Amino acid sequence: MGKTVFIKDTTIGGKDKTRDIYGILLGILRERGLENEVQVVRVVDIGVYGQGVAMRVLPENFLYSHVEETDIAGIVEQSLLAGKPLAAKLVAEDSKQLRIVLRNCGVIDPEKIEEYIARDGYQALAKVLGDAPEKVIQEMKASGLRGRGGAGFPTGLKWEFTRKSPGDQKYIICNGDEGDPGAYMDRSVLEGDPHSVIEGMIIGGYAIGASKGYFYIRAEYPLAIERIEKAIKQCHESGLLGKNILGSSFNFDVEIRLGAGAFVCGEETALIASIEGKRGYPSPRPPFPSVKGLWGKPTCINNVETLANIPVILFKGGAWFAGIGTASSKGTKVFAVTGKVKNSGLVEVPMGTTIEDIVYGIGGGAMPGKSVKAIQTGGPSGGVIPKEYFRTKVDYESLQQMGSIMGSGGMIVMDEDDCMADIAKFYLGFCVDESCGKCAPCRIGGTQMLRLLKKVTEGEGTPKDLDQLEQISHAMQKASLCGLGQTAANPVLSTLHYYRAEYDAHVNNKKCPACKCAKLVRFLILSEKCVKCGMCFKACPVNAISGNRESGYLIDQTKCIRCGQCFEVCKPRAINRS
Amino acid sequence: MEKLTKEGLEKLRQQGAATEKNYIKVGFSSCGIAAGAQEVYDVLCEEARKHNADVEIKKCGCVGICSAEPLVEVRVKNMPRVFYGKVDKDTAIKIMEKHVCGKMLVNDRIYDLKVN
Repeated sequence: MGKTVFIKDTTIGGKDKTRDIYGILLGILRERGLENEVQVVRVVDIGVYGQGVAMRVLPENFLYSHVEETDIAGIVEQSLLAGKPLAAKLVAEDSKQLRIVLRNCGVIDPEKIEEYIARDGYQALAKVLGDAPEKVIQEMKASGLRGRGGAGFPTGLKWEFTRKSPGDQKYIICNGDEGDPGAYMDRSVLEGDPHSVIEGMIIGGYAIGASKGYFYIRAEYPLAIERIEKAIKQCHESGLLGKNILGSSFNFDVEIRLGAGAFVCGEETALIASIEGKRGYPSPRPPFPSVKGLWGKPTCINNVETLANIPVILFKGGAWFAGIGTASSKGTKVFAVTGKVKNSGLVEVPMGTTIEDIVYGIGGGAMPGKSVKAIQTGGPSGGVIPKEYFRTKVDYESLQQMGSIMGSGGMIVMDEDDCMADIAKFYLGFCVDESCGKCAPCRIGGTQMLRLLKKVTEGEGTPKDLDQLEQISHAMQKASLCGLGQTAANPVLSTLHYYRAEYDAHVNNKKCPACKCAKLVRFLILSEKCVKCGMCFKACPVNAISGNRESGYLIDQTKCIRCGQCFEVCKPRAINRS
Repeated sequence: MEKLTKEGLEKLRQQGAATEKNYIKVGFSSCGIAAGAQEVYDVLCEEARKHNADVEIKKCGCVGICSAEPLVEVRVKNMPRVFYGKVDKDTAIKIMEKHVCGKMLVNDRIYDLKVN
């Protein structure tokens, strides 16, 4: 194999030097007659950010950063001719990602069971069918796996409770009702590796003594449903579902139930009601589903990501899994990193990875010219984590200590243009929309809080409103029936805690520091800076900007909707936002 | 398909064990399809036929770099395995002509990220 060199200038802002270095390297190679042995390629992304010109030499996989023109001859000499690293410029690259849940996503064809089997699929099932169910539960307890739906209840324990509950019929349910804004890892697993979830479910069914399983997937995921349906059909054909699975005496079958998209149906008691064909209302716990669940029978509900972990754990052993992660949280977690970040997508890291590593190391940091302000985790039940706390190692406990939660794994990156009061209003608005209305604290409290937040963001709030917000929040946390109401106030409380000054600015000075709240911001063209290019004129979606390239431009404040498009496109920064 | 036993499962697993074949994988999850994976897949298939290329074109799930979809993974013998991101029709044609047939990587399209 010939050698390959990847080049990318990772400097943030400024001139892109990729092509210059590329040219110089090609020149040197030609001089030495190596142009046919070495391939030089400009790449879009090289996996490191803000470290000058980066260069990767393959197949040895030496990664260099801050490469200057003068270093190139040395790299050619050392790495390309002698095959040795140039120590001075070498970056110790440790891939922070570890893929357990996503092991097959993007690797296999999800519609072909053979490809899943070729990647050790259904081996764990074959292994456990020879063991006693108690031994399987023991192994799960040893692994320390905790529920990935958000609350983090130990999966082994849940299985044990369900197994020990008396009942002639037991059920296992896969909770695929993923509803947090910005979170989509469950969809990706269902679409990319449906068999791993099915295998997890069969094993779960065997361990708790269930003969029937249900997939509860939201109807908004048509492709996920289609792929799960196909996978179930393949399992039936090959005897992995149905009677006498893999020649054993174990019988198990699954069915799909579609959720109509109510957020509250992700809550387990509401989910059970929905499967039973009733209205998706939550009910008080206890009794817990492990005692009295679906149709009054002991039921175990596991999240998609939890189930996808199970085959690997039982194939490689609980002790192996327990070796990954932190003291209290084992294994890996998939995060859907979205929002104002360079590389949005799915990231799977061991528990205990710092937020910094996820946002900057893997996500690539903020969009060009902006800076990250905070992240939001846990969806509408979670909170914000300011940039100052990004060195925190992510696990269930550390996030809780900061007033957020792990949640299902949504991680929304926010930058300097995001107003915290506005964020809180957005999440609360979501919960108010999705509240089922059964209990008063959530129904009335949510609406009242939303009213107060609207007042604040429109510049009509008073300091008393902020106190009242806090008061109602605590009342909702204590008195609501289910998780939705109990956690709906979290975004408000955490933004109030970390960004009180921002709220105060809204209330006392009638200003929005992030210049986001439409009623509190004004855009003006500064004629002394304006170069009359007309970009703002073109960008304005409501034609509020008038003028021409001779006389300059003017914003009509009555027409302006304060969207900020003109501000973003103005190169000479001639638009004043205040 | 025959009902599997433990032995049958093991046999299937060994049959499918990694081969050294050339392949192109196109991400076919919601994110990829929304970004235009179907067109890329069709173009790749057509180009492969045209060039009579020794490569298998497959579909797969989402590898996680959703911002760079449609994402195409290419593995050709004696060349590094790479991901091309934001692939459009032109890039798909270039991948087949230059990378698969010409054994030259395509400039300005590779996302060199470690994912699996």
